[in-house]
Amino acid sequence: MNTTLNPIDYAVISQALIAAAREMGVKLIRSAYSTILREARDGSAGLMDRHGNTVAQAELIPMQLGPIGETLRACLKRHPVDSLREGDFLINNDPFEGGQHIPDVFIFTPIFVAGRVVGFGASVAHHLDLGGGAPGLNIHASDVYQEGLRFPPSKYSFPHDWNGGSFERLVTANVRVPDLTIGDFNAQFAANAIGVLRVKQLCERYGIDKVETAMKEMQDYSERRVRAAIAQAPKGTFYGEDAIDDDGLSDDPLPIKAKVTIADDSVEIDFEGTCAQVKRNLNCPYSSTLSATLSCVKSVLTSPDIPYNEGMARPIRIKVPYGSLLNPRPPAPVRARMIPAYRVFNAVMKALAQALPDKVIAAGFDCTTAFCLSHLGEKGYSVYLEIFGGGYGASRNADGCDAVDSPLSNCSNAPVESLDIDYDFFRIVGYELAPDSFGLGARRGGAGFLRRCEILKDDVQLAIYSDRFRLAPEGLFGGEPGQRGYCRIFRANGTVEELRSKAAVDLGKGDIVEMFVGGGAGFGRASERPDSLIERDLADGLLTRDPRAAAKLAAE
Amino acid sequence: MRVGVEVGGTFTDLVAVEDGKVIVTKVQSTPRSPDVGAFAALTASGIDLAGIEDLGHGSTVATNAVLERKGAPVAFVATAGFRDLLFMQRHDRRNIYDLFYAKPAPPVRRKDCFEAVERMRADGAIETALDEAAVRSALIPALQAGGYRAVAICLLNAYANPVHEKRLAALITEALPDLLVTCSHQVAREFREFERASTTVLSAYVQPVIDGYLLRFENKLAEAGFSGRFTVMQSNGGRLPAEAMRQSAITALYSGPAAGVVGATRQAARSGFKDLITFDMGGTSTDVCLVQDGRPSLASESEIDGLPIRTPVLDIVSVGAGGGSIAWVDDGGMLRVGPQSAGADPGPACYGRGGTSATTTDAHVVTGTIRPAAFLGGRMRLDDTAAHKAFEPLAQRFGLGVEQAASSALQLADANIVRAIQLVSTERGRDPRDYALVPFGGAGPLHAARIAEELGIATIVVPPNAGVISAYGLVASDYTKFDAVTRKMKLDEQAAHEAARLFAEMRARLAAQFADMKLPGDLVYTHTLDMRFVGQAFEVAVEIPADRLEALDAGYISELFAEAHHRTFLHGATLDRPVEIVTLRVGATLPIGLPPRLDREALATKPPERTRIFHGEQWIECARHTAEALTKDERIEGPAVVEGHTATTWVPAGWIATLDAADNLILRRAA
Repeated sequence: MNTTLNPIDYAVISQALIAAAREMGVKLIRSAYSTILREARDGSAGLMDRHGNTVAQAELIPMQLGPIGETLRACLKRHPVDSLREGDFLINNDPFEGGQHIPDVFIFTPIFVAGRVVGFGASVAHHLDLGGGAPGLNIHASDVYQEGLRFPPSKYSFPHDWNGGSFERLVTANVRVPDLTIGDFNAQFAANAIGVLRVKQLCERYGIDKVETAMKEMQDYSERRVRAAIAQAPKGTFYGEDAIDDDGLSDDPLPIKAKVTIADDSVEIDFEGTCAQVKRNLNCPYSSTLSATLSCVKSVLTSPDIPYNEGMARPIRIKVPYGSLLNPRPPAPVRARMIPAYRVFNAVMKALAQALPDKVIAAGFDCTTAFCLSHLGEKGYSVYLEIFGGGYGASRNADGCDAVDSPLSNCSNAPVESLDIDYDFFRIVGYELAPDSFGLGARRGGAGFLRRCEILKDDVQLAIYSDRFRLAPEGLFGGEPGQRGYCRIFRANGTVEELRSKAAVDLGKGDIVEMFVGGGAGFGRASERPDSLIERDLADGLLTRDPRAAAKLAAE
Repeated sequence: MRVGVEVGGTFTDLVAVEDGKVIVTKVQSTPRSPDVGAFAALTASGIDLAGIEDLGHGSTVATNAVLERKGAPVAFVATAGFRDLLFMQRHDRRNIYDLFYAKPAPPVRRKDCFEAVERMRADGAIETALDEAAVRSALIPALQAGGYRAVAICLLNAYANPVHEKRLAALITEALPDLLVTCSHQVAREFREFERASTTVLSAYVQPVIDGYLLRFENKLAEAGFSGRFTVMQSNGGRLPAEAMRQSAITALYSGPAAGVVGATRQAARSGFKDLITFDMGGTSTDVCLVQDGRPSLASESEIDGLPIRTPVLDIVSVGAGGGSIAWVDDGGMLRVGPQSAGADPGPACYGRGGTSATTTDAHVVTGTIRPAAFLGGRMRLDDTAAHKAFEPLAQRFGLGVEQAASSALQLADANIVRAIQLVSTERGRDPRDYALVPFGGAGPLHAARIAEELGIATIVVPPNAGVISAYGLVASDYTKFDAVTRKMKLDEQAAHEAARLFAEMRARLAAQFADMKLPGDLVYTHTLDMRFVGQAFEVAVEIPADRLEALDAGYISELFAEAHHRTFLHGATLDRPVEIVTLRVGATLPIGLPPRLDREALATKPPERTRIFHGEQWIECARHTAEALTKDERIEGPAVVEGHTATTWVPAGWIATLDAADNLILRRAA
C-alpha cells in the first residue's frame, strides 16, 4: 500500500481512531457487571491493525495495555488473518502464549470492510472468577491449572458459539458467578462492536487505504517521538535492583535485577541475575515483564501525550532469562504477577534515576494488593474482590500522590454505599489516610491508607496477596523509606492475628479485618524539606511529630 | 421590558427586548467585582431600571470562586471512619503515565474535616445511632474554634434515610446559628458517597459567596428603582429567582454555557427547528450540546476542576477550539490546533497587540473569510500582514503555501469540533444527520457549513446577533428545578407502582418549592428513571412520557429501558436479564410562555460585493453580503460570505442561505 496521506487526513483519522478506542473503554466499563470491572475499572480496550499491532488504546490499565499486540499475534499465528470470517472472534488468556494471568481475558473482533480485515477491536477484562481452586483468588495454587480456566489462543464464532452456544455454556459451567462473568464477557463483545462500527464508518468516509495508512503512520509517529526522547537522554549502562518480600512459603526475598543500556536511539533492558521462578503465584509471564518495562520507560522518557501503540515499543528491547521469575516455564502459577511486575518497574526506575534524576520518582508502595472476600450462601457464591494501591513515590519537585492506585494499574475503589447495597456478609467501617506512612525527604512520598472491614456472617473466606510487608520502598537521593504494609485481623474473641503478605484465612461474624497499604518513599534529604510543607502536614495531621525537633535533638 | 445581563470572562453582554425592539450592549467585564460590569452595561444601554419587569442574570461568580479557591471557609463532617472521603476520592488517576500525578484538590483541607459517630444502612435502617453527646462535646466546639462560615455534612447512606444528617444539622444550627449548614441529602439524594460529598462541600463552599453577591446586586437594583423580578441562570438551563438561588448555589456553576444553549434553542424554535446540535465557538473553546424536541440533553453528573458534581446540568461538551486557538507542530511532526489559546491578550497575531502565534482567527484573515476592515462590524481593525507572518513557519515546515497552511489549521479546528459533536450524538446513540446545526458565538457561523458537511448535516440555523445569544438565553429561559432520589428496586409491577407513587411525591415537593418561590402557574414535569440490568453499576436514563404515568406497568418500562440501553451500548435489547430501577428524577419547569423575539438590526438593502476566498486548494471568487442588509426570503447561493456585526457566516458552494421570518439565516444543502 503506497497511499500517502496529507497532514490533515492523517490528523483527523488518527484522532478519530484514538477517540474510538476511548469510547470502547468507556462503554466496556459502563455496561459491565462485576465490581472488579465496573467499579474498579480493571479492564482495557483498543484498536489493532490487521497484523496484530496496537494502534490506539483507551488509557485504562497500563499493565493490560502494554503487550496487547503480543496477545493478538499469538492468536494470529494459529489463525492467520486471511482465514478469519465475519462473526469470528479470537480469545486468549494463556500466560505462556502472549497472555498475562488467567483472569485477564483478551477478546479480539476482526473488522471486515469489503471482505478485508482492516484491523481488530480489542478488549480485556479482569474476570472476577474463572473457576480454579478457590473463589476469585486461589493463593495456594502450585500450578496454572489451579488458577482457573485457560483459553489458549483460539477462534470461535460469535453467532454459533456465544449467546447460548457451546463455548458460552462451557464457560458458564466452569465459573462460580456466571451471571457476572457472562455479563462482563458481553460488555467486552459490545465494546469491540463499538470499535468495529467506528472503524467501518471511518473507512466509508475516507477509504480503506487511508485508514490503514493512518494506522501505520500512528505507530511510526510514536516511534519517532520515543526515539527523539531517547536521543536526548544521557548514554550509558545503568543498574537497578529491587526485591519481593518472599514467595509466600519461605522468608527469602526474591531479587529482581535490571541492566539498562541507553544507546543513541534505543534502550535495552536485560534482567540477567534475577532469581529463578518460584513455586507459588508470584511468577511474571514474559508479556507482563515486557509491559511493566515499557510502562516505566515511557513514563520516564516521554511526555504523557505520546499515544501508546506498537511503535512506542519498537525502540525498546528486553532480554529475560527463560526459567527466571520474569519469564517462567509452564505450568508455573502466575496469578500475582503484578507484584514481580512492580519490582521490574522499580528496578528499571532505579537504573533510570542515575541517568535522568529529574524525570523519575522514588519507589512508591507499588503493589497490587488483591483483597478478596467470599461467602457461599443459599443463593450461591458471593465474591468481593478489590485492588488497593498505596502512596506514590516522591520526585524532585513534587510530593508523591496520596492513596492512589499504583503506577502499573489504575483501579478505582468501590463506593462504600455500593458495597452496602450489593453485599450482606461484610461492611466497610473505615477508610482513612495513614499519618506518618510516607518516607520523608525534600519531597515526601504519598500517604498510604487503611481500609477496615467488619464481617457480618460466619464462614467467610479472606484471601490476599500483597507485598512490602517486610521490605520497605527505598528513597532516592537521601529520601527516607515509606512504611511497610500489614493485614491484621481483630477477632470477635479479642485476639489479634497478623497475616503474611500472601495469605488465606477463614473469618467469622464480628471479626474486623484491617488492611493497611503503606506510603511512598521520599526524594532528597528531609533536612531540605521547606518549613511550609512540614507545617502543612502537621496541621493536617498527616505528620504526628515534627521531624525538625527530632533532627535538632540529634544534633545536640 | 426583559433584560438579560451575562457576565463573561472578557465581555459583559446585555440584551434587552421589548415588542420586537432589541438593544444589544457589550462592555468590558470587571472580574474583581462582576456586578460593576453588569451595572456598567445597564448604564451604557440607557435603559431605565424602573421599566424592567424581568431581569435575567448570569455570571461566573460561582465558577470562579471554585477555580480560584475563593469560597467561604468550610468544614466537612462525615461518618466516623470516613473523614478522608474527599481526599481518598476514587483511588484512580486521570493520566495513567504521569509519574508526578496530583489528585484534584478539594476546597477543604484535612484539618477542616471531622467525624460524627453514626451508621445508617443501605435500606435506611439505623445501624448505629447518632452519638449526640459527642457532637455537643467535641464536634461543635471544634467547628466553633475553626472560624468557619459554612459546614457540609455527608453521612453514609443518608440518601436512603436523612434523619441523622437532619439531626446533626439541627444540633449544629442550635449551637452555632451563624454557620450555614448544607446536608448531602439536600443537594443530591443519590448513592456513591464521594461524589455526593464533593457536591455537598462545593455547594457549601460557594453558597456564602453567591449569597453575598446576589444580596449586594439586589440592593443596588433596589436603590436604582428596579421593582421587577430578578432571576439567575442555572447550569441545568432553567432560571431561579435570585432569592431561591441564594439557597441553591451549586446549580449556579457553569450557567453561562447553559444560557447560550437555551437562547439558541428558543431562537431556532421560532423557525420550527426542535432537534438541534448547538455549538458556541468563542475565543478559547467551543461548547457543544444536543437538543431533542426542543429540550437540551441533561447529564446527571459533571465536574469542576476535576471534582465531581452530582446535580443535573446541560450535557455540554467543551473542546479547545476557538478563535484564539493556536496552530502548532508537535515533536512528532504532527500539525495540531489548540487547546492552547492566545487568549484575549495578546490575542491572535492579527490583533496587532504583539501576538505572534498562528491562531484560527489569523487563518480566517489569511484565507479571506474575515476581512480585516470589517471585523466586529468595523469596530476593530485587524493586521493582515501579521496574520500572514504567523503562518509562514508552518507553511515552510510542511512545504505548503501560507494560505494552504491556514486552511489546514481551519480544517483541524473543524475536526476538533466534529469530534465534540460526535461525543454528544453518535456516542449517545444519536445520528447527527437527524439534527439541524445551530452555530453561535463570534466564530461559530464561519465554521458551521464545513462541520455540517463533515457530519452529513443538511440544515444550519444561524440566529441573529449570534454573538450575544447567551445574554438572550437569560430572558428566554423557563424556571426549572430538579429532584432526585435513589431507591433501588428490581423492576416488577410493585416497583412500577412504587415509582409512580414516588414521582407523585416528588412532584408535590417541587410544587411546594415553586409556591415558596412565589412562582405561580402550571408546572410541566419530566420523569426519568435511572435503570440498569441487575449487577451493572452505571445507569441508563429512561424518560417516562407524561401520558403513561397514570397506569405505569413494568413491561412498558422494561421496553423503554431495553431500547435506551441498546441505543448507547449496542447490546442489551435481547438480553433476558432482570432489570432494576436505581434513581428516580423529576424535573419541574414553569414555562415563561412565548419567549421574547430576538430580531436583527435591519439596514437599507445594498447589492453584494465581490470578494476572494481561499477554499480547498485555491482562491475562488464569491459574493460578500452584509447581514443587516439582507431582505426576507432573499436566496443567497454559495459560495458566499455574509458579514454581520457580531458574526460572519460562510456559505460554501452547494448551499443556499435565506433569511426567514424569524430573522434566522437558514442554510440548506442544495438538492
